[in-house]
Amino acid sequence: MKSASRRDFLKIAVAGAAGAAWAPAAGRAASKSVTMLHETSFIPPFDEYFQKTLAPAYEKETGVGVVYELTSVGSSPTRISTIIETGSGADVTIIFLLYPFLYADKLMDVSDIAEEAGKQQGGWYDAAKEAAVIDGKWRAIPHSNIGQLMNWRTDWFAEVGVKTFPGTWEELYEVGKKLKAKDHPFGFELGHGFGDNHGWIYPLLWSYGGHEVEADGKTVVIDSDETAKALDFARKFFKDCMFDDVLGWTDPSNNKAWMAEQISCTNNAESILWFAKRNFPDIAKVTDQAQNPQGPKGRFHLLDCQSHAVFDFSPQKEEAHKFLRWLTAEKQLGAWYESGESYYQPFLHAYDNAPMWQVEPRNIPYRDAMATAHLPGWPAPPDRRLAEAVAKYVIVDMFAKACTGTATKDAIKSAETQLKGIYKTA
Amino acid sequence: MSIRSEPLLRVALPPRRAFSLALWLDREAVFSWVMMTLPMLFLAALVGYPLVYGILLSLQDRVVSKPGHFVGLRNFITDFHDPIFWRVAVNTFVYTIVATLLKMVGGLGLALAMNQHFRMKNLMRALLLLPFIVPTVLSTVAWMWMLDPAFSVVNRVLIGLGMRTPGPSWLGTPILAMFSIIMINTWRGLPFYGITLLAGLQTVPPELYEAATIDGASGWQRFRFVTLPLLKPIILIVTLFSVIFTFADFQLVYVLTHGGPQNATNLFATYAFDIGMGAGQLGLGASVALMMLPALALLIVALTLYMRRA
Repeated sequence: MKSASRRDFLKIAVAGAAGAAWAPAAGRAASKSVTMLHETSFIPPFDEYFQKTLAPAYEKETGVGVVYELTSVGSSPTRISTIIETGSGADVTIIFLLYPFLYADKLMDVSDIAEEAGKQQGGWYDAAKEAAVIDGKWRAIPHSNIGQLMNWRTDWFAEVGVKTFPGTWEELYEVGKKLKAKDHPFGFELGHGFGDNHGWIYPLLWSYGGHEVEADGKTVVIDSDETAKALDFARKFFKDCMFDDVLGWTDPSNNKAWMAEQISCTNNAESILWFAKRNFPDIAKVTDQAQNPQGPKGRFHLLDCQSHAVFDFSPQKEEAHKFLRWLTAEKQLGAWYESGESYYQPFLHAYDNAPMWQVEPRNIPYRDAMATAHLPGWPAPPDRRLAEAVAKYVIVDMFAKACTGTATKDAIKSAETQLKGIYKTA
Repeated sequence: MSIRSEPLLRVALPPRRAFSLALWLDREAVFSWVMMTLPMLFLAALVGYPLVYGILLSLQDRVVSKPGHFVGLRNFITDFHDPIFWRVAVNTFVYTIVATLLKMVGGLGLALAMNQHFRMKNLMRALLLLPFIVPTVLSTVAWMWMLDPAFSVVNRVLIGLGMRTPGPSWLGTPILAMFSIIMINTWRGLPFYGITLLAGLQTVPPELYEAATIDGASGWQRFRFVTLPLLKPIILIVTLFSVIFTFADFQLVYVLTHGGPQNATNLFATYAFDIGMGAGQLGLGASVALMMLPALALLIVALTLYMRRA
């Protein structure tokens, strides 16, 4: 057989390259597709289910392909800003926390889908409306909450005679004092992470009755007796119960400390137990989950609502809207939730007793916590000023300052100065 | 036959030749401009445009997804009233000055050591570049583990030396956190200094050292009066680069502390990112980022003037 000459090779290579360059363009022209941006899930089967089951099923039913574009955890806000600024990119996106409010006028009104889903699937939790309804219109379809709750070591708590998780912050403090003395301190993030610091600091502030700004979005009310009481509690909680390193922690730190058996209690998403079950089964056996403790003004949780939104400027927005309606129907949604076990807590009451909650009954407090969950900065309206206060870690740093010895009055004063600066400029 | 002078005359006149692109390009004035055009276009597109756009943004109340309005210097005034902004400014200066000095002294020492003859010299020189080659995000994650109170090699050593457990909280204490990021930046930037100064050292003619030795100069005097003056231009250039990179550092802080604890390690770049991307305030974020410009511009002008005079 004659071996191919160099010239033949070049010809083949050029033809191949031209073909490769032409093929995707031809592919796009031949069939329509919708692109959905998502952050890589902490639960791999959740992404796999979308890619291997949901996307092919939609294509088979409608002939429209679905591209599931994954981006790393924490990078979606930057990606969404870029898509909005350049007007090109994905058609549907995952969006969370305050971002639907920041970008509301670039997101399609999807009230029809939300109302239909609410009617057919048992109605929405109030928290879903708090997270996605803007000026009376749904700008995103809430998919799930990633709750931040208490994770505690049952074996070490038992050593100090505690069998059920303490119901109030003061009771938790008493337990923590005993556990720290036994070299099993608590580990609650007080640094510049994102979820695990806000996950307990806002609920603590609220449960003592403190707020940053009134619901009118104008009056800064952080300087109150309630805030002072929350700070005083946090100071002793830090000093007598906590591991010093928490001041410099970011979000992965408490997971690392948990698996290293350094801490006996922390505030985290469900995933900490899921990860332990996979990789540290002995630790998983002695891990339990509970709702945040109560304060004098009640029990609170942080709302981290993961929603799907359609970009209003997308040339494919009608297709994207159809796809989102399909995805939000019970048949698709229910199975998708199942694949994520209960890491994603549904906002529709139809799933309150779904089989996914039986996979790991220790997760059930995450479902129950949704009734008392609010967005960061609640009850102030979620807007740019609030987002700025959160991005500047005003509240987190106020607590961290108090914990490291700044007088309560001074810590509050500096937070107030910052908040007044932010709220005046907008 | 008579001699015809007419054709000769014609020959003497310079012929009117057609325009030649090759000759035209050969002219120095033209050639230099042609050569300059591409880099200038490149600079204008990749440096000039973002800079001008950044300045325009900083003068607007521009937020993501909405058109901005011109607000003059309002964003800068907001920055000046923001206590965290001043904290960030101080942090950035402390970080840059200390890290650059450490890198300068350490890099010079490294270069002098590497300039000696020893076995496996080339291998050592190659290994020296490792911290510089490893992507910052990766090496920072490795440092995150090294500074973790439970797994820290540093703390294990300290505990071994008799310190109480669990040892200092490197990233949880404001001063230690700043110290840690300075150390990591120095570790990462040292090879750049070391290798560049090593290249400079090798250009110093050995005769100068021989002459100095014959004149009775000690090792320190040879360094002080021969090596240092000849290395000065290179030290200045490396310092200029290093200051610019360190001043605008982002990845290290973003991965390690995200500016915490309590903004103790927040730098201009990370603070600007949080405001611009976290809060969607592009105008305000740009104004924070632009505050790096005057300090850097002053430094560049000062160093350039100094080098020209030298």
